[in-house]
Amino acid sequence: MHGYEDAGLRRLDEPAGTGQASDSAAMRHAVERRDTGRRQTRRISGWAAAGLVAGVAAGAGYFAHAVPPAAVSTSSTAVQGTPGTAGQKPTLTHPVVTSGGSGVVAGTSGGSATSTGGSPASGSTVQWQDN
Amino acid sequence: MSGSAAALLPGRCQWRLAAADIVAVAERDALGTTARLAVWPASALPAAAGAVDSELDRLDRAASRFRPDSEVSRLHAMGGGPVDVSDALAEAIGIALAAAEWSGGLSDPALGAALVALGYDRDFAEVPRDRWDDTDALAPARLWQAWRSIRLTGCRVQVPAGVVLDLGATAKGLGADWSADAAMRASGCGGVVVSLGGDVAVAGESPRGGWPVLVADDHRLRARPAPARAATQLIRLSRGGLATSSITCRQWRRSGRTLHHIIDPRTGLPATGPWRTVSVAAATCADANAASTAAIVAGSAAPQWLGDRDIPARLVDRGGRVLHTGGWPVSDGGVLRPPEQRWLQLPAGLPRRIGGSRDPS
Repeated sequence: MHGYEDAGLRRLDEPAGTGQASDSAAMRHAVERRDTGRRQTRRISGWAAAGLVAGVAAGAGYFAHAVPPAAVSTSSTAVQGTPGTAGQKPTLTHPVVTSGGSGVVAGTSGGSATSTGGSPASGSTVQWQDN
Repeated sequence: MSGSAAALLPGRCQWRLAAADIVAVAERDALGTTARLAVWPASALPAAAGAVDSELDRLDRAASRFRPDSEVSRLHAMGGGPVDVSDALAEAIGIALAAAEWSGGLSDPALGAALVALGYDRDFAEVPRDRWDDTDALAPARLWQAWRSIRLTGCRVQVPAGVVLDLGATAKGLGADWSADAAMRASGCGGVVVSLGGDVAVAGESPRGGWPVLVADDHRLRARPAPARAATQLIRLSRGGLATSSITCRQWRRSGRTLHHIIDPRTGLPATGPWRTVSVAAATCADANAASTAAIVAGSAAPQWLGDRDIPARLVDRGGRVLHTGGWPVSDGGVLRPPEQRWLQLPAGLPRRIGGSRDPS
């Protein structure tokens, strides 16, 4: 099932032989459509500012008002920093990214957590947590 | 693209953006999901965003199985012969094969045919969410250990006819690693964090105490509403990568069955274990990505598998119970310390490329 064909080394940009002309035309068409879509998408979406997070509390308030509303993602969150000194590393108290599954949620996420503790595993470093 | 990112910054306060304690956050659609970038100082955002754009474009052109013009699509079309590919695709395949070897085949790059058979044969946004047809299409594909038939020597790859690559278990993590490193190099910023569909990589110096990262089922969750609070955790990350795999996202129905995109290579069907979401911290995001996928597939054996390797992980079962392994912080706001050692080693002759340069480590 997974045997190799007896083919010589090729590069990806080489033509693959007979019948390739129509395939290439179809591929070019598909690529053109895709690239056009990508350009349109980029014009529409691109990067959207999701927030400026200030390590200086006063600054956070200033930028919250200074950022043009149209440039800020609707999913942005107000993230506040704690007081610091300009030129130092910032201190953040609220998350700037979320690690989670990618794609569309289908209704199983959320806080259905109930727990009674106890571990089904024997690994010594495993800890159960009640929610 | 960097120009458009620059336009996002309010001109009248540009002077303030050079302050090191201002963090800029931006996001965009990419690779069928969301890319999110946070960088300090904020003045580094345009250069960092441009660098991330380049890396995402490089990854998409190399490894997307949904683009007819991608390298991997053309590789499949060439029917099994040896082919010279770009550094980017060679590294993506090399990391995927390393993940398969390291995980004993639980993370498997040769499951593309199974996903296609189940209906995930196009950008997920275009996959019909509820389709009724011949249930024979859900017959298990015989793919166990098919990844061992893939050959990679330097940038020369040979994928047997009939094997369809799907690099989803490691490619987003790798893309996050590339992007964070490239953003750091291009912008000269203090520090950066990149999330690619919830797979997170950091580079440079983190804010004091680490980058605050919310861990949840869905990477698009920003706030923590009370009903969902118990299912989320705030952690702090200063280096390495953090990846989350979840069966709650990318679900669809076919012939009355609910399917998801994490395939068990032993059955060719969606994994059926007890975990809905697994998060892992590692030296790189690609490493973390491989481990989180493997843990979902490992099912009830995952805690033992992770614990034996001392892997910091957070597992959420289908009922919402949370399990921690390998020193993952139990408390909310705890510091997550990924291991420093990489688990995935590229084959000899294929040094790891990071951000457009060669890193022989």
